[in-house]
Amino acid sequence: MKNMHPVFFFCLFLPATTYAQFWSFGTPVDVTDGYADKVYHHLESAGRRNIAVSSRTVAIVWEDNRNGNPSVYLSLKNKNETDFSTELKISGSGEAYEPGIAALTGNRFAVSWEEDGKVFIRVINAQQLKSPKLATIIQLPSKEAMQSGLTARGDQLFVTFSERTGRYSHIRLIQLKIDPEENLSLLTDCIVDPAPVKDDQLYPTAVVTDKQIMIAWEDRRMGHTIIMGSLSQSGEFCQFSAPLRISKRRGERKLPYGKGHGVSRVALGQYGKSDFLAAWADKRNFRDGYDIYASVYDKIGLWEANSSVQDEFGGVARQWHTTVAGHLNGRLVVAWSDEREDSSDIFYSWFENGEWSEDMPVPGASGIGEETHPSITFDADGNLHIAWVVRKEVGGTTRLRYMSGSLLHRSK
Amino acid sequence: MKKQFTFFLLLLFFSNLSFSDEPEGYPFNSFDQAMQQAQETAKPVFVYFGRYGCGYCEKTNKEAFSSSEVKQIYTSHYILAYVDSESGKRLRLPSGERITERELGTRYKAFVSPVFTFITTEGTRIHQIVGVQSIETLLEADKKVQAILSQAAL
Repeated sequence: MKNMHPVFFFCLFLPATTYAQFWSFGTPVDVTDGYADKVYHHLESAGRRNIAVSSRTVAIVWEDNRNGNPSVYLSLKNKNETDFSTELKISGSGEAYEPGIAALTGNRFAVSWEEDGKVFIRVINAQQLKSPKLATIIQLPSKEAMQSGLTARGDQLFVTFSERTGRYSHIRLIQLKIDPEENLSLLTDCIVDPAPVKDDQLYPTAVVTDKQIMIAWEDRRMGHTIIMGSLSQSGEFCQFSAPLRISKRRGERKLPYGKGHGVSRVALGQYGKSDFLAAWADKRNFRDGYDIYASVYDKIGLWEANSSVQDEFGGVARQWHTTVAGHLNGRLVVAWSDEREDSSDIFYSWFENGEWSEDMPVPGASGIGEETHPSITFDADGNLHIAWVVRKEVGGTTRLRYMSGSLLHRSK
Repeated sequence: MKKQFTFFLLLLFFSNLSFSDEPEGYPFNSFDQAMQQAQETAKPVFVYFGRYGCGYCEKTNKEAFSSSEVKQIYTSHYILAYVDSESGKRLRLPSGERITERELGTRYKAFVSPVFTFITTEGTRIHQIVGVQSIETLLEADKKVQAILSQAAL
């Protein structure tokens, strides 16, 4: 023992696992004004897509009740500047909920939302940041629709939503083309799973590559909620493979009661050229509440075994509100609301070399108060952008905050 | 006879579709309806946070809520609300905030299913019992809540 070199003792104190990536975050900024009496902001959308970056512009959409009626608002900022612009009302005069956003080319965005049981779309051209151009509101052709989500590729926009036809709802996809004047024209329109609807399909979300679209949703046809997904055929955005189960069973034992464990609110990310990841809140460890689980879509066209995104330290706490961001360069981050420190904080983990990193609290989005409901995205350069809701206490009034982060160092 | 058989088949079909919702024979309401009734009657609210396909909810329904004593006490002492803690159905809180049933579950820490929460007419939590329940635990919870309310009224 006496002959042991001091370097040995130094090595004992090194962490067992050294990650090659380190994220650095800037200073949080307010998206909305401070807390207002009885005003509640919600970052809620199918797939948790409430933030997007197009060229140099960051856009955030949310719903709040500042005028007594839930309405959808948008705020913009230059990603190299600090402050957000004046908040713009996007929705119409009805009760509007759950807005989602997708980045188009050239500082343009598309926003979808649910209003009075219908789904609407609006394109925003923010080329002139101080005087953005709001296109006409378009209502999608559906009698009863909800939980819309958007994804885009070039000048094409893909809208997914849950559409009720009779007793149950199915998932519908509408593909639109956007011209330089922000006019929309219909390209394709289809039901993702044309099998007879025997129970609800809900909260769809999608990611699109050059030739295919991947859609995932909550499916109640098994008698409990599971996550399912379907991939379109190459070059045919309305020809889908048979749906595959993404959230897997906890075991094969037959339960005397009930149909299976709970899952909810899937988020999808595309990373690399054509890799997909689905992440969701999962109650398979039923004593500890929801945990964050994920599955990777493998090269042979199957969803891999489910893995826990969060580390063991979060195992006994509740996690909610899963959001995913993926980048063409292979970066992949999952963030969520986490109650391991009693009050809710935003935590994140990143995927590297086939493994999830240890969980990290987002600095500035953790600590005193309730920090919840994150939504994350990457810009073209691979910087991470995050928006979230802050409450002074559970059930209290709210405000929205934003921050960006970058990959500081890669030790290779 | 043919009509009766068809009716029986329909009944069987729809009864199989109800995967562990609220127990049968109880006047469960949506959360906001229950809160409104609670304001009108000044009764506390018993909130059943369930989930679609929830096994322990089904077990509790069959083994505890089937008791006539439980039914008599719970329907007379409380306004009953059922919440599917994974549902996107919207409701209005006493504060005026509009949220989904799932979000209500996060507010009241419905981290497993079922969770049974006793709340005041203003929505303040009085007591909570978690997981599968028996007749005895439901009756015991009622006694505890009634004692808390009596103490608060003094």
